[in-house]
Amino acid sequence: MMTHSLHRSGTLESLKGDYVWFMYQAKGINDTNIKEKAEEFIAAAELVGSENWGDVKTGPIVSYPKEYIKQNIGNKSRLRGVFTSRKQVTEFLSIIKQKNLGISVVISGLLDEVLQACKEAGVTPHTINYSLGIWGKKELLPDDDILSITTMCGHHMISPNLVKKLVLDVKKGKITPEKAAWKLATFCPCGIFNQVRAEKLIEELKNKS
Amino acid sequence: MTIINQEKCTGCGTCIPYCPLEAIKLEGKKAVVDQDICPNCYVCVRNKVCPFNAIEKPEISNFIGQFQHIISDPVETTEQTGVPGRGTEESKTNDVTGRVKKGKVGICIDMGRPGIGCRLRDVEKVAMAVTAAGLKLEGEDTTPLAMLMEDNSKGKIKEEYLDTNVLSIIIEGKCPMETFPEIIKALKKVEKEIDTVFSLGVMVRVDENGYSPVLEHIEKLGLPKPYRGKVNVGLGRPLVDE
Repeated sequence: MMTHSLHRSGTLESLKGDYVWFMYQAKGINDTNIKEKAEEFIAAAELVGSENWGDVKTGPIVSYPKEYIKQNIGNKSRLRGVFTSRKQVTEFLSIIKQKNLGISVVISGLLDEVLQACKEAGVTPHTINYSLGIWGKKELLPDDDILSITTMCGHHMISPNLVKKLVLDVKKGKITPEKAAWKLATFCPCGIFNQVRAEKLIEELKNKS
Repeated sequence: MTIINQEKCTGCGTCIPYCPLEAIKLEGKKAVVDQDICPNCYVCVRNKVCPFNAIEKPEISNFIGQFQHIISDPVETTEQTGVPGRGTEESKTNDVTGRVKKGKVGICIDMGRPGIGCRLRDVEKVAMAVTAAGLKLEGEDTTPLAMLMEDNSKGKIKEEYLDTNVLSIIIEGKCPMETFPEIIKALKKVEKEIDTVFSLGVMVRVDENGYSPVLEHIEKLGLPKPYRGKVNVGLGRPLVDE
């Protein structure tokens, strides 16, 4: 479903550079000895170049040293992160399949791309949560450009007004698009904000009137 | 609750753009938090956005205040479900929990999202509409919303909680595949009666190619073909293949 990575906004081209990975243990089923398994997930994600990842209980790598996050992993930790290409997703799934860790793995993104990655990695989709979009009083929403950025933190820890302020600061030359994107990423405690994509979006917004 | 220490506040306004629900505003020469809007997500506190350390979080002593904070702050864990975030696992572990089986549809209505927030009064409107159409809501062991219910089978929330504002909350339930069109019809009607938005997710078991008959229902109902999804790739063990 929608959940916190499902309903990311943006153009298809932009979303082709945005995938979220999850390691997810289930309460009472496979939620013990998590630290050891989490470290395997982290190693795989790092190997294929996950640009951001984190544990919601500690924070993301854009805010904290990786070793600190690893030290704090416990059975209630939730490891998540982002990839910027389908190739990374395929490689990550291949490694995790081989490790046979017994923990649920979820990839969120464009379905055509994710399903192709599953095929390439030799894993079989079990369940899909389809996004059927936004309903209700949509006139309350910020414009699509802002939503493309704010929806990368699905818990909505990033306010539209903060994005607008940072874009303005970029236009004034007070901050670079890269630093603005990084700052926004620090507000997403899960580590699923894609600062690489955000930088590109901010660069585009800088050039808009 | 979140408050601004009026003695420390200089009225610089630095904190204002950080609030996801625009609950912080200047009154006179000081910043204040509108307690009616603030969902206690602690974005402002956790990220130390005030250069003068004027934002404080006094202890929350009542149940609904604590609930509002836990459901709005992803760092917290909901005790009953054991899950951080909004305290629900949805499809993420369906390969080991088997919560949604073949022939069934899981519905996730993410109220207040993206970024608008919602009153529980609107949550109740939607919950009552979908239960009347045949959705069986999840219970307290799997979804936090059930803790607020007077009658979970009807989606009726206890009267005293209805004005509470949250950043977002998930209405989660299941129905047989054949009931799915009725749920969508109910949502098409009730979406016009609420002062917020919701994001809709539909969870199903799929075949090895990622196909489910729910896609045919979606097409017949005139909804756009979904192009984004969360794919559980079936690596959890022990695997539930039902």
